[in-house]
Amino acid sequence: MLALQAKNLVVGARIDGATVPAIRALSFDLEPGKILGLVGESGAGKSMVGRAIAQLLPAGFAISSGSLLFEGEDLLRMAPGARRALLGRAIAFIPQAPMTSLNPVRTIGAQFDEHLARLGDGSRGTRRDRAVAMLTAARLPRAAELLTQYPHQLSGGMCQRVLIALAFSSNPRLVIADEPTTALDVTMHPPILALIADMQRQHGTAVIFITHDLRLAAQLCDQVTVMYAGRAVESGPARAVLSTPAHPYTRCLQLANPSLRAERRALYVMPDQMPSLRQLKNLSGCHFAPRCPLAAEACRRGEPPDIAVAADHHVACIRAAATRTIAAMAGDSVAAGAAGRPLLQVEVLQKHYTTGGGLFAAARNVAAVKQASFSIAENEFVALVGESGSGKSTIAKMLVGLELPTGGKILLNGEDLTEPSLRSRVRNAASLQMVFQDPQSALNPRRRVASIVTQAMEAGSRHSSWDERLARTRELLAEVGLSTDFAARLPGQLSGGQRQRINIARALCTLPKILIADEIVSGLDVSIQAQLLNLLARLRAELGFAMLFISHDLSVVRHLCSRVLVMYGGEIVEEGAVEKVFADPQHAHTRALLSSVPPDEPEAAWPSLERGAS
Amino acid sequence: MTSALSRSLRSPRVLIALGMIFCIAFCAVFAGWIAPHDPGDQNLLAILQPPAWADGGDLNYPMGTDSLGRCVLSRLIFGARTAMLVALFASLGAMIIGTILAHISGYFGGAVDWLIGRLVDVWMSFPPVILSLILMVGLGVGLSKVILAIVLVDWTRFCRVLRSEVLIVTRHDYVAAARLLGFTHWQTIVREVLPATTPLLITLISLEMAIAVVVEAILSFIGLGVGANTPAWGQMIADARQYVYQSPWNLLLPIFAIFLTVTAFNLLGDGLRRTLDVRLAETGR
Repeated sequence: MLALQAKNLVVGARIDGATVPAIRALSFDLEPGKILGLVGESGAGKSMVGRAIAQLLPAGFAISSGSLLFEGEDLLRMAPGARRALLGRAIAFIPQAPMTSLNPVRTIGAQFDEHLARLGDGSRGTRRDRAVAMLTAARLPRAAELLTQYPHQLSGGMCQRVLIALAFSSNPRLVIADEPTTALDVTMHPPILALIADMQRQHGTAVIFITHDLRLAAQLCDQVTVMYAGRAVESGPARAVLSTPAHPYTRCLQLANPSLRAERRALYVMPDQMPSLRQLKNLSGCHFAPRCPLAAEACRRGEPPDIAVAADHHVACIRAAATRTIAAMAGDSVAAGAAGRPLLQVEVLQKHYTTGGGLFAAARNVAAVKQASFSIAENEFVALVGESGSGKSTIAKMLVGLELPTGGKILLNGEDLTEPSLRSRVRNAASLQMVFQDPQSALNPRRRVASIVTQAMEAGSRHSSWDERLARTRELLAEVGLSTDFAARLPGQLSGGQRQRINIARALCTLPKILIADEIVSGLDVSIQAQLLNLLARLRAELGFAMLFISHDLSVVRHLCSRVLVMYGGEIVEEGAVEKVFADPQHAHTRALLSSVPPDEPEAAWPSLERGAS
Repeated sequence: MTSALSRSLRSPRVLIALGMIFCIAFCAVFAGWIAPHDPGDQNLLAILQPPAWADGGDLNYPMGTDSLGRCVLSRLIFGARTAMLVALFASLGAMIIGTILAHISGYFGGAVDWLIGRLVDVWMSFPPVILSLILMVGLGVGLSKVILAIVLVDWTRFCRVLRSEVLIVTRHDYVAAARLLGFTHWQTIVREVLPATTPLLITLISLEMAIAVVVEAILSFIGLGVGANTPAWGQMIADARQYVYQSPWNLLLPIFAIFLTVTAFNLLGDGLRRTLDVRLAETGR
């Protein structure tokens, strides 16, 4: 009997009085003890599947038709009481945000005990023993001690291990893991994935693994279903789908992802973005057609049927035969700019914070940045990589002057930015600009785009006329690849990728010599990320500027930057040319970062996952 | 901003409230023309007359007369003038002090924030009614004294609530971005922070107007208000209290006037907050 079977599942969303399918005719079979990967970008509808199983659809969404059979029983037609009895017992969930999924005011032990008591596990003593056993199985050291601790005392990775232990403690037959590693540091990805795979093998559980990462899905899953705009566009054995993708979207997605190990190549750039539910309403034919390089007249006429390209490998595309001909344009390749003379020099920069220190507590001195020295040359893209908490963002804030360093020097064109008297004047003159991480927070929701991108022109005592500003807006919008009619929009009317372009345009308004970019592509989907990476490379060629690119994604770093600085615990532990450092990493942390990226080829072994599983 | 304004003017709450406030303000401005009698004129032959619609009513005094034979309608209309003046100037005054301190406190943080925070704490530890009574005793009676007393008591309300909003707004990266683009602190506060706190500010002003009307009535009720010669709703209530059994209308009419005015201001504040906030409006809630 199948663990889970979806038959023509349709989830509808009410939009402007009409019902638009957010999931269209989704079917899949999940055998017991297997892992099914649901892969797609945000908005593809992949999380909706997990929510449909739990019947926790957002307001306005409802299951219109189809069935979801859990071991032969239809979850959608089951009495609410019977379904509740299954959830948390036979069907368990591993959430996306571990830190917020545990109750902050109760100990781990109390939360574990409550869950086990609900499962009807004997006395308090036996429940405690079981909790310790499960936490130990989740490779948490000193499990007994852990039971008395509160969630805030644990790291994100430990919280996720606790949640995995909780999920598997009921010996579930089905586990739904919704992006279980997305909120964690990259170095935590392989051990957490290995743990899920290990627990899944031990308990013989079927797993639905929801992810946006094709390479990850190939490593972990038995079957994958690639989703686009609510439709399963391709499904089949994980390795087959990833090694010989039949749908143009799968192929494009693969080509849009920069590689960590293969030769540096151009990224494939899909135009636009996935249609929103509102746009879907007016879209006929294949929903990928507007972005598809193979789209023909027939594609726009009707929805493509499911075609079998091999046994068990289905694709919803009438031009699947031509998919393998898709290749990135050579013009998109990133030409490493010739580095000029040194522009920015940072010498033994330090930042200490004093925390606590009140009437009854002595102040504690915490070093966010112990010491950092590096330099950036004109036109050079330098990457700063490291885990969260390693001090990357603190360095960025000190460079732009949002934080004052405790010690050390920041020399821009030979002038010290940390000298208080010179600070603002020099910075304005030499233009050091920052692109913020979260475009949602970085754009004033009350200003229109034209006013945002030319904000520098109203700063200080400068008074530019509105006509001058509109003219500059048109130039800047053209630079970042947006049409002029964006000038009158509000940030709330833009998509994430468009907001990030506006964010970049604003920083470029004064033609800075150096940009500080703090994780500017990390929150974006792969296809949007590829668009922005190519945009940055083109802008460097056209305008000429240097950049300190802060990121945790080594594939992106390798694609865009020529030099890399690795930070760990407030210090720069390794530095050098990207190719050299990545080929022969010296520091243990660099090696950990590198091994946390899954290989490009689905057949290739991923040692991190294997070692963790042993 | 124009679209936000036109959106506000389509909101039924705002329209109803503005209609009510317009009526009250019209009475206040043109009191001298509308009122059938001088509010101070006594007719000792016709004291405690019931309203015109009740038994024994006289059309000459549409809402009857009080214990000194003064026209209740005229006193209500002139009382609106007192109430509106106090509402307008007291709330503006409290808003100016509270807003400035809140923005300085929330934006700069640190020692400045601590100092202003403790000042507010100390200020708020006095019971507001007692504090305003003490102030009135010190300042003496009169319209401007009432306004001053309310401003000095109620600025903390603005300061407290706005400071937390300023703190939230200041955390946004766009405020840091404005500094990086060369904005001075003053420019950043006025152009980036203030527009974001304005919806809350407007709500607070209209709520404060309602509170000012009530406080003015309280002060007039106990005789420490605008003074005996100026008609005020609180004073009318105090006067009517002694004759509540002979003529309940004298008590009910000024209470109803206060009720209408306070409701109108609260309704306006709520309606404006819902429509002026770009975030609420653009994301469709």
